[in-house]
Amino acid sequence: MNAVLPLVEARRAKAGEVFRARGVPHRRVEAWKYSDLRASLEDAAVVEAGTAVWTLASLPTGVESFDLGDLSHAPDWVSRNLGTLGTIGAMDAASLAFAKGGLALRISGAVAEPLRLRLTGQGHARLLVVLEPGASATLVERHGAETNLRNTGTEIVLGAGAQFEHLRIAEEAAEGISLAGIEATLEREARYRGHFTNLGGKLSRVDSNILLRGEGASAELSGVDVLRDATHADVTTHVDHAVGNTQSTQIFKKVAGGKARSIYQGVVTVREGANGSDSRQTAKGLLLGDRAEIDLKPELEIFADDVKCAHGAAVGDLDVESLFYLKARGIPEDEARNLLIHAFLGDALDQIADETLRGEVWALVEAQLVQMGAA
Amino acid sequence: MLEIKDLHVTVGGKEILKGLTLSIAAGQVHAIMGPNGSGKSTLSYVLAGREGYEITSGSIRYRGEDLAALKPEERAAKGVFLAMQYPVEIPGVATLTFLKTALNAQRRARGDKEIDAMGTLKLVRAKAKALNVSEDMLKRALNVGFSGGEKKRLEIVQMALFEPLLAILDETDSGLDIDALKLVAEGVNALRSPERAMLVITHYQRLLDFIVPDRVHVLAKGRIVAEGGKELAHELEARGYAHFVKDAA
Repeated sequence: MNAVLPLVEARRAKAGEVFRARGVPHRRVEAWKYSDLRASLEDAAVVEAGTAVWTLASLPTGVESFDLGDLSHAPDWVSRNLGTLGTIGAMDAASLAFAKGGLALRISGAVAEPLRLRLTGQGHARLLVVLEPGASATLVERHGAETNLRNTGTEIVLGAGAQFEHLRIAEEAAEGISLAGIEATLEREARYRGHFTNLGGKLSRVDSNILLRGEGASAELSGVDVLRDATHADVTTHVDHAVGNTQSTQIFKKVAGGKARSIYQGVVTVREGANGSDSRQTAKGLLLGDRAEIDLKPELEIFADDVKCAHGAAVGDLDVESLFYLKARGIPEDEARNLLIHAFLGDALDQIADETLRGEVWALVEAQLVQMGAA
Repeated sequence: MLEIKDLHVTVGGKEILKGLTLSIAAGQVHAIMGPNGSGKSTLSYVLAGREGYEITSGSIRYRGEDLAALKPEERAAKGVFLAMQYPVEIPGVATLTFLKTALNAQRRARGDKEIDAMGTLKLVRAKAKALNVSEDMLKRALNVGFSGGEKKRLEIVQMALFEPLLAILDETDSGLDIDALKLVAEGVNALRSPERAMLVITHYQRLLDFIVPDRVHVLAKGRIVAEGGKELAHELEARGYAHFVKDAA
């Protein structure tokens, strides 16, 4: 039992109160207006959801891990950080309050081998990733299909100059509700690269809050949704430029067929005095079905004077001029469509720096396109 | 090679081609000249098989086959090539990847063996060099950031690569300066052969100084209103289209 553990328990108890006070979010909550979670999830089901199962493929040298299932033995670096961020909302609070397990990782040096984490089964889970100053690592977080609720809350603490690449891959789970709250704080010169691949669920949502609180910190967010049938995926981001000379880029590409629905909401805040900040936001949607829907909502809140901020969003069908051009050169319709869909997704997937990992994500995306009859 | 008889075509419910008749034998180069709105581009799109161009009557026979019954990609595999007036930009598709995909799609359709990336590069390299298309351009996304002249040159590189039997050049001269025009014309002339027919569509006579046609047809208001040898192009330039268009009315 260490001295700060009561603090962790106090944070968890408070999170429980937050959830009980707010309950499952619904469409009248602005941040959830496109994703009416309450229509398919009751408060009681959240409280009783249990704990999801995680497995870590291997533990490379330079990485310390701790199973959050046994908080009474939590080392100091866990109890100091766990549950300290907690700004996302009711469902993130629920994961902190109700998860009876999870994983904490501490990285002190440069770790080249990706950490491969897999989550299965229903329930809540909590993840804590701490990178000490100057450390670097890559985490691949893969979510298998689930027929009920999976709700993970991830806290990422990046020390000065730390570099963290985070791939979250959610397989298609047409009957499942998959929720992820990801919060990261970046100290001076730290860099976070987050890539979210979502193949859809009954309701799938990633909430990502990034706080750039040290000068020179940068966040690069990217991701693809490839959705079919009646699946739903929502990526909601908030990047907070709390201090000056911070950078953020976002590039999200969304493909929706059938009756699928894909959402991007992204708020970039540049706080007063955070001069020299640079932010770019791109979100694009490709509709492959007459009944599919894509909603893109980039937003800027700028309170500083000397900043560079750009955002763009567009939704469309496959370009008929391009299709004709390719066909007129002998490329059959299906192959031409496939080529254009790949081209559309390409720059978002190119954000995955590691070639092997990029190849793995491409393979999943391609398999999904085949399922959709688009490839 | 190509026999068009009394062709009527509507686009968006409006009749654009109103009884066009034209025939081109293998080995010949024909030019179609006409003012804006005469139906030049409609003719090229109909031949390539673009959607939205409805043939209401008449026929197009290509090497004895009903061309209108074929999909655009089938036409390409059978040797029809349209060098477009406005080549599209396709971000995310590398030019060389596109060339390899197109070449192999055509070869597959003809029952020929496919060619790998190295083989494609070898084939393309020589043809690209002749048209001053750099390897850097081949690595870039298709037509993205290319100048007007570069796009047109790449169209002719494709023509050289695909070795069509019927090549249609739709206003290939537009947007070209004189040096680029000569380069493109040289590329086209190098492809003249007894097996190949070409249809050069242009607004201006200038291109025809460099690609000298066997026959010139004047298209106005959806019909061929005058025909003749290469000297007709000069007559048009001297007298203007108005003279011919009046006759067509």
